[in-house]
Amino acid sequence: MTSTLDVAAAPPSVLSRFDPRWKLAAFLFAAAATTLLQSPAPAASAFATALALATLARLPRRWCLTRLAFAALVAAPFVLLLPFTHVGEGPHWPLGPLTVSAQGLNAAGVVALKMLTLVLLMLVLLATGPMPDLFQAARRLHMPGPVVHVALLTHRYIFVLAGELTRIRLALRVRGYRNRMSLHCYRTAGHVAGTLLVRGYEQAERVGQAMRCRGFDGQFRTLSEFQTRTIDVLLFAASGVSAVLLVAWDFWQR
Amino acid sequence: MSTPSIHVANLRHAYSGGVVALEGIGFDVAAGERVGLVGPNGAGKTTLFLCLAGVLSVPRGVVRMADLDPSDPAQRRQLPAKVGIVFQNSDDQIFNSTVREDVAFGPLNLGLPVDEVRRRVAEALEAVGLRGLEERVPFHLSGGEKRRVALAGVLAMRPDILLLDEPSMHLDPRGRRELMQLINGLPVTQIIASHDLELILQTCTRSLVIDRGRIVADGPARQVLADAGLMEKHGLEVPYSLR
Repeated sequence: MTSTLDVAAAPPSVLSRFDPRWKLAAFLFAAAATTLLQSPAPAASAFATALALATLARLPRRWCLTRLAFAALVAAPFVLLLPFTHVGEGPHWPLGPLTVSAQGLNAAGVVALKMLTLVLLMLVLLATGPMPDLFQAARRLHMPGPVVHVALLTHRYIFVLAGELTRIRLALRVRGYRNRMSLHCYRTAGHVAGTLLVRGYEQAERVGQAMRCRGFDGQFRTLSEFQTRTIDVLLFAASGVSAVLLVAWDFWQR
Repeated sequence: MSTPSIHVANLRHAYSGGVVALEGIGFDVAAGERVGLVGPNGAGKTTLFLCLAGVLSVPRGVVRMADLDPSDPAQRRQLPAKVGIVFQNSDDQIFNSTVREDVAFGPLNLGLPVDEVRRRVAEALEAVGLRGLEERVPFHLSGGEKRRVALAGVLAMRPDILLLDEPSMHLDPRGRRELMQLINGLPVTQIIASHDLELILQTCTRSLVIDRGRIVADGPARQVLADAGLMEKHGLEVPYSLR
């Protein structure tokens, strides 16, 4: 079964040839710098760079846009409210019973750009290499083991649970259930969520047992072997320098 | 008589809440013997396997697997190298992001050199007929393929004892036939729990019948499974080939 949550690997590109460890480190640097930005121009530059990387990575356009749209939908309530709720100095314009502030608009734009940049960077990272290599790279970068394990198992079992949800929805449909705004539907949705939680918990127990039976002692080991080349170091250096310059520019703009 | 590969004496297991899953279980399995474990749903087959594999706690001296006592923490840590278990639901067992990594998981945990692990992975995948699928993502595989990956993951550890819980589940007739050939060709001690009584007949010389946590019959597979009264009493049926 192919889930809609699956990661679609992009076709081979310049970025897919980099060592996953250096690529992940460069991503972390870029992501940290992006979160620090507070001015529109540096945020827009970061977004433009992410777009360039996505083009370089040959991300499937539709796949990429769908995920960006989903992320935008999640962030929309916060971004749309900011111009009305952000109180500060600068011009204000009345809009019916509400007031729109220039600073609020500015902040909304920066938040939206940062969010899109982060999502785009993440998509580039996920689509330009196999997930197992990424998890292994994370371990080699000394990220906490439990965090990497949880990420790996979440990536694996989210598909199993998504399949479970599909089966439950099918079972509901064949018994005449349709989503409506009614108490019965809300209660059913609650039962479905509860069932998924219980099944997820039970499966987690069984997975743990199966792992122990195959000698798991808390350490993840892998067959993947990484090799650092000059180009990997250059990518990381370029990412680091760009991140520092971007943050400095942002600081100067404030 | 040589030391049995599996020795169980008066095993009892109760789940929290007081539900007794196993009571007075006792049997020996000789090295290289293949034993079928049959019984209705909820009889205690999976619980017995979990006790034998050291997943569920057992009292000291009650179980010995390949000369190891699962109740002893130090010996329990050595069990995965000696005892392999294939779970009923393959999704519980396969969690890595590629078939190759999943099959390599156990051997890597045993601390084997990478070259040896690669060799074992290739051999195990060849044995279950999955060569060429090394880089596939397990959750994109069919139920039968997942079953084979789970089996390959255990075979790659080269255990002395193999516990197979419903091994033919999700397999099509060809896959099932190949599985039977594979089981018959493995020179290790095996206990096979299954509702597929034809598979038990084709692969095992001896059969245990378990019901409500107790062993109710133990004998030659053809003789035990042909006993219509016994089968009927314990929610089973005589296989077609014996009628």
